[in-house]
Amino acid sequence: MMELLPEGKSIGWMQAPPQWIFSHTLRFVGIVRIVIQDGEGFILINKGKALTFYFKHGRIELRGNAALDYFNSNPTIEFNLSKYTPEEMAEAMKICHIESGEPRQEGRAEVPAAPPAVVAVSQAPEPAPAPMPIRSEPVPSPAAAVPHTDSPAVEGARPRETGPETGARSVPERAAVPDRQATYEAPVQPAVPLPATIDEDDIRIISQIKKLNGIVAISVFNDDRNIVLMGDVEIEPLLRIARSLLATTRKITPHLDWGQFVHMTLQIPEGNVIIAPYRENYLCLLTTRTINIGHIRRILRDLQVNGEN
Amino acid sequence: MAVLKEILNKFLILNGVQAAMVVQENGEIIESMKSGIRLDEEMQGVIATLMLDSKATATSFGDAPLSMLFVEYADYFLIIGPVMEEFFLFVIAKNTANIGQITYAMKKNQEEIVSSL
Repeated sequence: MMELLPEGKSIGWMQAPPQWIFSHTLRFVGIVRIVIQDGEGFILINKGKALTFYFKHGRIELRGNAALDYFNSNPTIEFNLSKYTPEEMAEAMKICHIESGEPRQEGRAEVPAAPPAVVAVSQAPEPAPAPMPIRSEPVPSPAAAVPHTDSPAVEGARPRETGPETGARSVPERAAVPDRQATYEAPVQPAVPLPATIDEDDIRIISQIKKLNGIVAISVFNDDRNIVLMGDVEIEPLLRIARSLLATTRKITPHLDWGQFVHMTLQIPEGNVIIAPYRENYLCLLTTRTINIGHIRRILRDLQVNGEN
Repeated sequence: MAVLKEILNKFLILNGVQAAMVVQENGEIIESMKSGIRLDEEMQGVIATLMLDSKATATSFGDAPLSMLFVEYADYFLIIGPVMEEFFLFVIAKNTANIGQITYAMKKNQEEIVSSL
């Protein structure tokens, strides 16, 4: 099924709560490919309307609401957004046996082992709950930072640009493989409201930065949580470092009459961690040592200049 | 320390460099050369904060040694690089300065700084 669908133009891989997808695809036409553990699935979206949900693990297939519920049962999922042209969308809808861009009515029925076609969903998901805060503790003081051993594997990490193989360590363990006996509970509703700070343009910009040679991971974060992450790294250790750096800049900036803060780069033998303001949030980049810092500086400056306009 | 001053003066010759100093990891300034910038108490506090915080942050990366810290603002930037053990080279420059030139000079003069300490 999935292999028949048009490839589309990939915007990038990222990790976020499932609700993030629905709140950030109002202008998106294409496919969201989802990887959970060893299984994979997709959501076909036409300008904010989810047309169909599908997930497969081994011989087990979930369609429609069953697939949606399974996606929602995971606090965070890994997914790829790929844009479709109108022709590609039409082809995908044909493959999924969807006759129009409107979702069809469908109940929450048991899914047969091998139904003839993907079942369209009954309704669009609830709008835009926020991503779950991955870490809500206060920003640690760098001076009080305790060394830990679960540092990001800079050397071993690599951009996830190809297949949906598993190994994203941030995918929670409880996202267990679904089986026929599993009961699907109501979707977990994140408690924190989502600031509408990331849109499709942001994703495109962040994705473009992620594709630069030497960028291992890129995250948009704020004081409360990670908003979006692209790259195959564990987010929490990276965020700890980023927030440490951010705390340092907040301490020193009031004492320096040097203009607006542009970025801070910490270089260690394994690579660089870079933080920079990004609109009302912050960017955190994890890079290899071989990165062209001059190039990154230019990009970060341009982002700030464009953000002010 | 006259030799160290001479070495630090090599940095001031570089376009846009405002200050070059050798500092300890606790932020204490061992020697400095400056041009057009004041190393007052406030700046010393900034230096101490950066040294202590960056060491703590690098340590949280599995006790990694700090290779370099680079902080950029709209008008100025600063670079901290290790010299030996607890000694670091701290350079402040205008944002028009050439970073590559500064980091090259830091590496090139490292041994000479070490031998002068």
